[in-house]
Amino acid sequence: MKILAVCGLGQGTSLILRMNVENVVKELELEADVEHTDVSSASGMPADYIITSAELAESLTGHEGTVVIVNNYFDTNEIKAALSEALHS
Amino acid sequence: MSSIMWMVENVFGTPAILLGFIVFVGLLLQKKNVSQLMSGTFKAVIGFLVIGAGSGVIVDALMVFQPMWKEVFGLEAESLGEFMGQDSFNAQYGSAVALAMTLGFLINVLLARFTRFKFIYLTGHMMFWTTTIFAGIVVHTVGDVSPTKLVIFLAVIMGLYWTLQPALTQPFMRKITGNDNIALGHTSASVALLGALAGKYAGNKDNDSEKIKVPKGLEFLRDSNVITALTMGVLFLVGAIILIAKGTPGAEELMAQSGEQSFIIYAIIQSFMFAGGIAIVLMGVRMFIGEIVPAFNGIATKLVPGAKPALDSPVVFPYAPNAVILGFLGAFFGSLLWLVVIGNTVSYIFVPTMIVIFFHSATAGVFGNATGGVRGALLAGFITSTVVSWGQYIMVNALLSSTVPDTAMWAADSDMFILGPIIKFLAQLFF
Repeated sequence: MKILAVCGLGQGTSLILRMNVENVVKELELEADVEHTDVSSASGMPADYIITSAELAESLTGHEGTVVIVNNYFDTNEIKAALSEALHS
Repeated sequence: MSSIMWMVENVFGTPAILLGFIVFVGLLLQKKNVSQLMSGTFKAVIGFLVIGAGSGVIVDALMVFQPMWKEVFGLEAESLGEFMGQDSFNAQYGSAVALAMTLGFLINVLLARFTRFKFIYLTGHMMFWTTTIFAGIVVHTVGDVSPTKLVIFLAVIMGLYWTLQPALTQPFMRKITGNDNIALGHTSASVALLGALAGKYAGNKDNDSEKIKVPKGLEFLRDSNVITALTMGVLFLVGAIILIAKGTPGAEELMAQSGEQSFIIYAIIQSFMFAGGIAIVLMGVRMFIGEIVPAFNGIATKLVPGAKPALDSPVVFPYAPNAVILGFLGAFFGSLLWLVVIGNTVSYIFVPTMIVIFFHSATAGVFGNATGGVRGALLAGFITSTVVSWGQYIMVNALLSSTVPDTAMWAADSDMFILGPIIKFLAQLFF
């Protein structure tokens, strides 16, 4: 499974999100490859799930993967809830 | 002995290999498996080498942008002069920058462990740029320096800066986020503080920016590639049209560069090349920072109980999305104004890159709004454009003109401009 963590510049914020997503993935006992990138690159990258904010999600509609919206990149509980919901739908 | 010397020269003397080594150790500490070790280490080496390639593309586009606007303002043709540029600067001093960054981070961790400033700086790309720019200032100021001295000097300064900067902004961060869990770790701290002060004295706190409705459709402002190409595109296009209208000999000469191609199209393509160059550099930075920062974070959380992460500036954006746009508008207006004023007074062509303008003014906007509402946010944005435009002029001309002025034109920003003269002074003192 491939997950992308996305922010506007693809540097700091998405990296922190990636680290938090990696922790959540471990807690959920999943096998996933998590990468972080900027929003323009993300639309051209294959992925099963894209985790990002509501503002950036609009630019990612049409991507083959499921876009998962997270408001607080630092709240692992929110990330966990959002990701679990996407996985089970 | 000779094998040690060989190690020092070839491993520590070759920045890409050194970074690969640092990442390798970092991944080992995180107990990653063999496949992760391989991919992480390789990506770090490739990433560092990619930066040089991207810098070349940016410089090529700047070499069109600068003469173009010089001609628009009718300024004496004065080129950037001789400078090393990011690519060869990295080849020569990249190892020192990488080591100083790593040691500076360890100093940050130690200070967080033993003082009351519990902040761990985790914005890796800004760590890299700030150390690079400060190294550029030192090398420009004192000439050829001993690598050991350069590393120690920079590591101490960076360690202090990364610990104290989040501490200075934290009182306002508490106000913005409503808690004490995260801190700001970004070089926009100085304009954020100035913005908050301006908001306090000249703003109106009751007129909170979040009460107004901002039209939908401004989402593209969050995409750094798009806004960089857009703003540079507008400036290149305006410059090209003015040159065609002027038709002076200098203008004719510049227009000849496009050959058979229309000069307008040529100019527009240059703006996209500029944005492309930045995208390449950022991809390179992402490839090695993405491997180093998790290792740094692993070390910090083990060693410092109760550590607070100091994070990239977009962490504050969700708390006041309208202030983000207002800060940007204030800075956009300011940079166009300063482009013309600085061009006509001190004959410098300001390169307003959106990474600097947007991220810094947006952060300042959120801080300005917290103390002074809508007026505070707009003012904070304007202050940001003032600091980065005049700062760029001073930095490029006086602080590092022989080393990395190219990088200073697009990746140096608020705090670096404010601290730049102090670094120069300290360099003169200690070297």
